[in-house]
Amino acid sequence: MSVWPEERVTTAEGDLDTVDMTVNVGPQHPATHGVFRMVLTVDGELVVGCEPYIGYLHRGLEKLSENADYRQAMGWWDRTDYLAGMCCEGAYTMAVERLAGIEVPERADYIRVIMMELSRINSHFMFLGAFGADVGSFGTSFVYAWRERERIYDLFEEVAGDRMFPTYFRIGGVTMDLPDNFESRCRWVLGSIKQGLEDMDGLLTGNEVFVERCRGLTPVTPEQAIAWGFTGPMLRATGVPWDIRKAEPYSVYPKLDFEIPVGVQGDVFDRFHVRLAECYQSVRIIEQCLEQMPEGRVLAPKLPKTLRINDGELYMPTEGTKGEYGVYLMAQGGTNPYRAKLRSPSFCNLSALTELVVGSYVADAIIILGSLDIVLGEVDK
Amino acid sequence: MSSEPVIGEPEIAALVRERLPDIPFEASETKTYADLRVAPEHFLALVTGLRDDAELSFDLLRNIVALDMEEAGLEAKYQLYSFPHGHALQITVPAPIPSCELPSLTGLYPAANWHEREAAEMVGLVFTGHPDPRNLLLEEDLRIHPLRKAHPLQKAEILQGIEDGPPGVEV
Repeated sequence: MSVWPEERVTTAEGDLDTVDMTVNVGPQHPATHGVFRMVLTVDGELVVGCEPYIGYLHRGLEKLSENADYRQAMGWWDRTDYLAGMCCEGAYTMAVERLAGIEVPERADYIRVIMMELSRINSHFMFLGAFGADVGSFGTSFVYAWRERERIYDLFEEVAGDRMFPTYFRIGGVTMDLPDNFESRCRWVLGSIKQGLEDMDGLLTGNEVFVERCRGLTPVTPEQAIAWGFTGPMLRATGVPWDIRKAEPYSVYPKLDFEIPVGVQGDVFDRFHVRLAECYQSVRIIEQCLEQMPEGRVLAPKLPKTLRINDGELYMPTEGTKGEYGVYLMAQGGTNPYRAKLRSPSFCNLSALTELVVGSYVADAIIILGSLDIVLGEVDK
Repeated sequence: MSSEPVIGEPEIAALVRERLPDIPFEASETKTYADLRVAPEHFLALVTGLRDDAELSFDLLRNIVALDMEEAGLEAKYQLYSFPHGHALQITVPAPIPSCELPSLTGLYPAANWHEREAAEMVGLVFTGHPDPRNLLLEEDLRIHPLRKAHPLQKAEILQGIEDGPPGVEV
C-alpha cells in the first residue's frame, strides 16, 4: 500500500502526476568542457528539452581581424581552437597565401603538416581523456592523455618557443627552421604517442562498462549528419569517408599515404573510435613527412614588408581537428582584410545538440555533449 | 565519393546554367570556388534547384558569410558542397535596401539555423521565416550589429541597448 494519498500522485486519467523540471548546466561546469551553458528540461531522468546558450567566450575574432594587418591577426586565429593552435594558424595562413598568390617552400609545407598533425593528436588526446572522465573512468584517462600532451607541448616549445599558442606559422612559410635534434626527438614522441594510444585503447575500448554506455547511444544517419552540417569525426562516424585532406587537398597531403577511418552507425562509440583511429593515421603522416622532408628554405624569399592584397575573395576549407575549419577572406586593397569569417566546425556540430540530447537520460546527455568534442574558443569565435 | 580535387573547378557554373536554365545569375571565380551572384527574388529557387537536381545535389550547407558592403547594402554568401558529385560553389545574394530581408534556408538545410542567427545579429540581416530569430553569440537584449563597417571597434559595451542605424550610417 502506498504511503501517499491516492489523489496526490495520480492525475484525472489515473497516471502518475509528474512535473517537468528545469536543470541548468554550465556555463561554469566541468562537464560542458568550457563556458557552455545548456538548460535541460527533464521529466524524471528523461531529457525532454534542451536549450543551448553560447557566446560566453565571444572575443570578436572577425571584427579584430578586419582591423588588423594580415600578419598581426594570426595570434587571434590560433586562439580559436586552442587545443590545436597550429591547425588554425595553418588554415589562416594558407587562406592568406592563396589570396595573395604567395608560394610556400616545400620544406615549410612539410614542417606545417608535421605541426598540424601533432596538433590533431594533441586535440584528440584531450578528447579521449576528457571523454573517458565524462563516461566515468575518473582521472585515469585524463592522466594517460596528459602524459602524451605534455610531450607534444614540450616539442612545440622546442620548435616554436611556445606551447599552446605558438604563432609559429608565417605568411609564406614558418618562423624558423626546426632544431637540429628535431627528427630524433619527434620520433621519440611518436613512439610515446603510440604507446599512449595503446594504453588509452586498453583502458577505454577494453572496458566493458565504457563500451556498453557508449554503444548505440544517439545513432546518427549520414543524411541527418549532412543536413545538420556535421563534418570531421562527427560525419565520419556515420560512415561517410569525407576528409578535406583527401577531398579537396591542400599543402603536401596529396603526397602522403593515409586512410580515413569511418564508423558504422554514427553513435557515441563510433565518434570516440574514429578519433582514436585518426591518431594512428596522424602518426603515419608525420613519419612519412620526416622521411620525405627536403632541405631548403622555410620562408618564401622576397616577401613584401607590408602585405597588401588588392582584390579578391576566397573560402578556404581545411580539415581541422573537429571538422571543416574554413576561412573566408575578402580583400579590397590595403593591409587589412575587408571581411574575415571563420566557419567553425564545433559551432556547426553543436547546433544539432537539441536533436541529439532530447529523448536520452540526463547522465547520457553529458556523454553526448562530450562526444561532440567542442572547443568553446572555436564555437564562440 | 569523389577524391578528385575540385578547388577552382570552372565548369560548375556552366553545369548549373544547363540544369537550371530558368534562373538568371552572374557567374564569376573566386580564388577557390565559382561564385554565382543571384538576385534576392531568384535566390530560393536557385538554392532549391541546386539541392534537388540529381546532377547537382548540393546537400551540405557549409557556411554563411554576412557582409556589410557599405553603400551597396548588405550581402550574404553561402558556401555549398555536394557529397554525391564532389562539387563546391558559393552563392552571393544582395539583401534589398532598406528591409535587409532574405528568405531563411532553415526549411532546406537545418544547418542554416545557427549560421543565420549569427549573420542576423552580426550585420543586421533579417531572415524571413526563421524559427528562432534570437541573438546567438551576443547578449540577448543587445541590438547592435558589430560587423557593420560603421560600427566602431571598441564601443560594444558602451553602446549596450542602443540600436545600430541602417548600413553605412555612423552611430
